[in-house]
Amino acid sequence: MAEQKLGNPAVVGLAGFGLTTMILQFHNVGWMGIGPVIWLGLIFGGLAQMIAGLQEMKTGNNFGYCAFTAYGCFWISLAMILIGNQFNIYVSSKTDIGWFLVAWTALTAILWVGSMRISGALGLTFTLLLIGFVLLDLAHFGYPELTVVAGYELMATAAMAWYIMAHIIFADVFGRDVLPVGKPWL
Amino acid sequence: MLPIRRFALALLASMFAGLAGAAPSVPEESATPEEVITKVWAAAKFLQDKGVSGFASLNSKDGSWVWKDSYVFAFDCRLDRMVAHPMRPDLVGRPIMQITDNNGKYVFKELCKTGSQPHGGWVEYVWTRPGAGRVSRKLTYTQTADVSFSTGIQVAAGVYDDKLSLDELSKLTAKLADPTKYPAH
Repeated sequence: MAEQKLGNPAVVGLAGFGLTTMILQFHNVGWMGIGPVIWLGLIFGGLAQMIAGLQEMKTGNNFGYCAFTAYGCFWISLAMILIGNQFNIYVSSKTDIGWFLVAWTALTAILWVGSMRISGALGLTFTLLLIGFVLLDLAHFGYPELTVVAGYELMATAAMAWYIMAHIIFADVFGRDVLPVGKPWL
Repeated sequence: MLPIRRFALALLASMFAGLAGAAPSVPEESATPEEVITKVWAAAKFLQDKGVSGFASLNSKDGSWVWKDSYVFAFDCRLDRMVAHPMRPDLVGRPIMQITDNNGKYVFKELCKTGSQPHGGWVEYVWTRPGAGRVSRKLTYTQTADVSFSTGIQVAAGVYDDKLSLDELSKLTAKLADPTKYPAH
């Protein structure tokens, strides 16, 4: 009996990561309010990406297991921080959110090293993500105008995540590698 | 009591009642510059704590951000829009940079420029005092509010006064900002 074909959880993880990152940047540069960021952060960037991450366990992909689960939790916790602020539950000040972001920057730095061993496209995605986190850190500690710079920079990060998603999906549906991801940097 | 005296008393009472009824709806007490400064600082801290979810409270006419004849309002200098104004909800979400006072002064261009300085600053223009039908000289103190995932937000509040000078208000602000430089006698 032929083995049943399995989907790659990364396509959902990258889609959720990319879309929610994108929509937060639409807010950061001032195109829209924060509402959709919260709800997408809970469902797509959060729940869906986290489940995709947990599904990576069975594929034996430790990088995806950690990254998608972690960033899924990032989005759920960020959305809940913002909801908490609205309802006065453990209100998080700008400084508190700044330190929250600093911790995520540190985790991203570790994953960034691993990403460079996987493919050029993933290395670039994590390089951009790390720069974006650092810019947001600085925006929360004395350089608020960098929020906008981080906004455009992280849009590029989100686009790169979608590029890798498209690479996996298109390779599957076209039967050949349409969008190459390049050799690993390390 | 003689009827004539009773009549006189009744007349007096009705005169006072008439005076009270005809009193303008302008709040009797005027906000002081010290109150304005501390309210603006409190609003900036409030937004730093609460983030964008704090705007709703600033838009409430019944909250602590409206007192005596003054109120706190907030605007976004980068995106050119009013964010919160308890007295003029019609302005919220609308562009602000083109707003001029009766003397042609671009009020929000001045507020944005002054508020971006460290410790903010004062701007003079004419604006309607709450409850009054005509415009008065208004001196407004404004300061940047550090809001997570937003940039360019400023908060402001003002006093309606004909005599105070911008210079003495700046001195007062500096004194309140750093009391150690101005020891009590």
